[in-house]
Amino acid sequence: MPRKPKSAAKPGGFVQTTVEIEGRTETRIVEVPAFEPEPWGNDAELGIVGARVPRMDAAERVTGRARYTADIARPGMLHAVILRSTVPRGTIRSIDLTRAAAMPGVLDALGPGDAPAATRLFGKEIFYAGQPIAAVCAESLTDAARAAEAIAVEYNLLPFAATFEDAAAKGAPKVRAKGNMMENGPLVMQRGDTDAGLKAADIIVRREFRTPVQLHTALEPHGAAAEWEGDRLTVWESTQGIFRVRADVAKAIGVTLSKVRVIKEYMGGGFGAKNGAGAHTFVAAIFAKRQRRAVRCINSREAEQIDSGNRPSSVQRVTIGAKKDGTLTAIHASIDVPLGISGWEGGPGQIYHEMYACENVRTEETFAYINASGMQAFRGPGYVEGAFGLEGAMNALAKELKIDPVKLRVKNFTKREPRQDRPYSGNNLLECYKEGSKVFGWSATHQQPAARSRKLVGKGVAAQVWPTGGGPPAYALLRINSDATIDVLAGTQDLGTGARTVLSQIAAESLGASLSTVRAIIGDTESLPYTGNSWGSMTTASVGPAVRMAAEDARRQLFEAAAAMLNATPEDLESRDSRIVVRDTDRSMTFAEVTSKLGNVMIMGKGSRGPNPADTAIMTFGAQFAEVEVDIETGVVRCTRFVAAHDAGRIINPTLAESQLEGGIIQGLGYALFEERVLDRKLGLVMNPTMHDYKIPTMADIPEIDAFFVGGADPAANHTGARGIAEPPIIPTAPAIAAAVADAIGVEMLEIPITPWRVLAALASTAMGDR
Amino acid sequence: MRLNVNGRAHELDPAPAVTLLELLRDQLALTGTKLVCDRGECGACTVQLDGEIVYSCLTLAVACDGSNVLTVEGLLNPTDQSDLAPIQRAFVAKDAAQCGFCTPGQLIAAHNLLSRTAHPTDDEIRHGMSGNLCRCGTYPKILAAIRAVANGEFANEKREGVAGAA
Repeated sequence: MPRKPKSAAKPGGFVQTTVEIEGRTETRIVEVPAFEPEPWGNDAELGIVGARVPRMDAAERVTGRARYTADIARPGMLHAVILRSTVPRGTIRSIDLTRAAAMPGVLDALGPGDAPAATRLFGKEIFYAGQPIAAVCAESLTDAARAAEAIAVEYNLLPFAATFEDAAAKGAPKVRAKGNMMENGPLVMQRGDTDAGLKAADIIVRREFRTPVQLHTALEPHGAAAEWEGDRLTVWESTQGIFRVRADVAKAIGVTLSKVRVIKEYMGGGFGAKNGAGAHTFVAAIFAKRQRRAVRCINSREAEQIDSGNRPSSVQRVTIGAKKDGTLTAIHASIDVPLGISGWEGGPGQIYHEMYACENVRTEETFAYINASGMQAFRGPGYVEGAFGLEGAMNALAKELKIDPVKLRVKNFTKREPRQDRPYSGNNLLECYKEGSKVFGWSATHQQPAARSRKLVGKGVAAQVWPTGGGPPAYALLRINSDATIDVLAGTQDLGTGARTVLSQIAAESLGASLSTVRAIIGDTESLPYTGNSWGSMTTASVGPAVRMAAEDARRQLFEAAAAMLNATPEDLESRDSRIVVRDTDRSMTFAEVTSKLGNVMIMGKGSRGPNPADTAIMTFGAQFAEVEVDIETGVVRCTRFVAAHDAGRIINPTLAESQLEGGIIQGLGYALFEERVLDRKLGLVMNPTMHDYKIPTMADIPEIDAFFVGGADPAANHTGARGIAEPPIIPTAPAIAAAVADAIGVEMLEIPITPWRVLAALASTAMGDR
Repeated sequence: MRLNVNGRAHELDPAPAVTLLELLRDQLALTGTKLVCDRGECGACTVQLDGEIVYSCLTLAVACDGSNVLTVEGLLNPTDQSDLAPIQRAFVAKDAAQCGFCTPGQLIAAHNLLSRTAHPTDDEIRHGMSGNLCRCGTYPKILAAIRAVANGEFANEKREGVAGAA
């Protein structure tokens, strides 16, 4: 039965709570829900939650019926194309739109000064190659693209900086008006005294790690379609945050929130890059208003690869001190990150403070702006880069100490979250090491193939933490229709994660309904209650509890109505498979029998996400194990086997959750072996803005992956017991693969991607290169 | 020109530069087939043309006069749109679609692979499917789905001969 909220504040009152989003902690004022369902612990008897239910919108996705933003076609719809700067820094001396505007099919063009100031579009000063400078709108995409090419632009070139070193150098060109380095100097985080910790160490390991710029490369590019009806604007957008797009558009165009409706039915991937409106959104909305016709504006692939966000590169100088038995005495990292023209301090530093028990930890992160497109969050931002340095250094330490790297990690396991000295809601990292080792057949020593073999085999391990508690605000409604079908309404979005399915499972379980009667309606700001962006692995742990509460609220009302019909009290009733049973009797009614008697008297449940537990670290953990085969003639690395054990609390749907793990690992494999945006230092241009030259993994590159979950429900996190899972699996993949390559060839790989030429260069530095 | 798409004949008059992908999406409203890279690198626009798989973004529509085209929409049973083809049911059961944007191309490539090689080895599947990129990382599940169809797990007598006419 529902119980009173555990916080001191009374239901309906407001309290302060903290929410961790992609490593950032935000303080929010949130209302206390009217009641708090009893947490689903490990002993909760659940039948639908935890079941391997097929993705409920899979049929749409495999038939071509799923409608994506790129598929939106409105009557009379026009197409817009954005022209982008071809130089990295300068000013526009002249721009002539007249020729473009006169071309066949072209209806309108926008250049400097033509967009509302709040859109920040089409300024005359150029800060990076790929910056939007003009746009055209035409009857067809082909007409629009031809016209954009016909716009004549002359630039006054200015010196630029395309690397951290160039931006940070004395007398460096002005990357932007406000200075080249992030304000307030380096970001320093510290506990204890690393100098003292290093003095106390028996062994000190120093390494410099380098990570590349990684591009999201979602298959569906950023895009929007816009249509005005009178003073009301509808935007279809491929986005992870419909409400954020609504706020961005309202602000930029200068209308109220209630005039803007944002719809996202299906989207072709986000991975962190689609968290708000962009140039394409504003361009579509402006043209649509001027032309009084719907307008669609979708990034070309080249625009997508050049200017839709990225994971910034990093250089991490890491020093670790330890006792002979492996006990860490100090962790120090000095880190440089070139952000692009914009960005924030979501750097590699934080994981250094959170992964291990160590009294003395210090990171200094220096962020520079460079003349390249700005960074965006990318799956596990900061932690992915940081794990490559930290876990790489831990593997180097294990080798120098001749300690099994798994044992070294177990030795330095932390029982409390060390950065803020908090207890965990739950932590089964030790079980991840244990089960992962067992399934992989881990042992630090193993047989190499016969001598003089061309192919060498190696094994490696790495681990991860990631804050994934989710949190308020998030709201859900649940309504029971007169035929007993059930609509779950929440203004969230399904990126391909399975949110529709997971939320339906939670609703069906809580209500005692059969899952086939439940439909989750998401992705529309006009008709659905607010939830936040689907980022930070937050959706299940944020929206799930709101859905559960809405379902429990609806069930309470349904039982009230049914009690009179069944000549019982509501307390005597229970429900399962859409049937209400009077406990210990044979009296029962189906939901449909009750609702048909109610007619159009509608039962509606309301739910909201309550505050997070105070001073508690809610995190997801994992350990990953890689086996590789290195061809010493060609330098090609093949990952041949991969095992991942993660603890994410209760798993609502193991099939979908395992798909998330595999997806993260495969993106991590790309990061380890193939992916690198190449920005030419002398030209300031991206040299590989295509899917041929920017390599993401193919099916031929994928090993057998055994990815699974350990632990169980985490009822201290929230009353569904679930934490987040989307981002954690990408975090330790690259360091695990790099360790496996090092194990194979006997040379540490300190820089990714581990391309054939890097392997051959590493081999050349050893005797093995002479074989 | 005449074009037979998913068993339906069309009389069309595309401009010379129109690609098969544009024809399918813009003129025939068959938007299941996706535009992703627009240069034959990713496989999202894969359709079957007279029994061969092609990148429809690189195929000129006028060059397809008299041809038979199969798109994802044509995998369904034409007389019962709720009746999925075995490969589609396998994709659902094995969770082989996450965001689903590459899925139509993956399905056509898988369908074609299985129509050529009824019992492919894992290596043949990996090689045959390596022209279709997926960013969500569904490859292990796509592999499992193709394996399952090859093993007859999703065979369905009543659908014999429905799909793959093109």
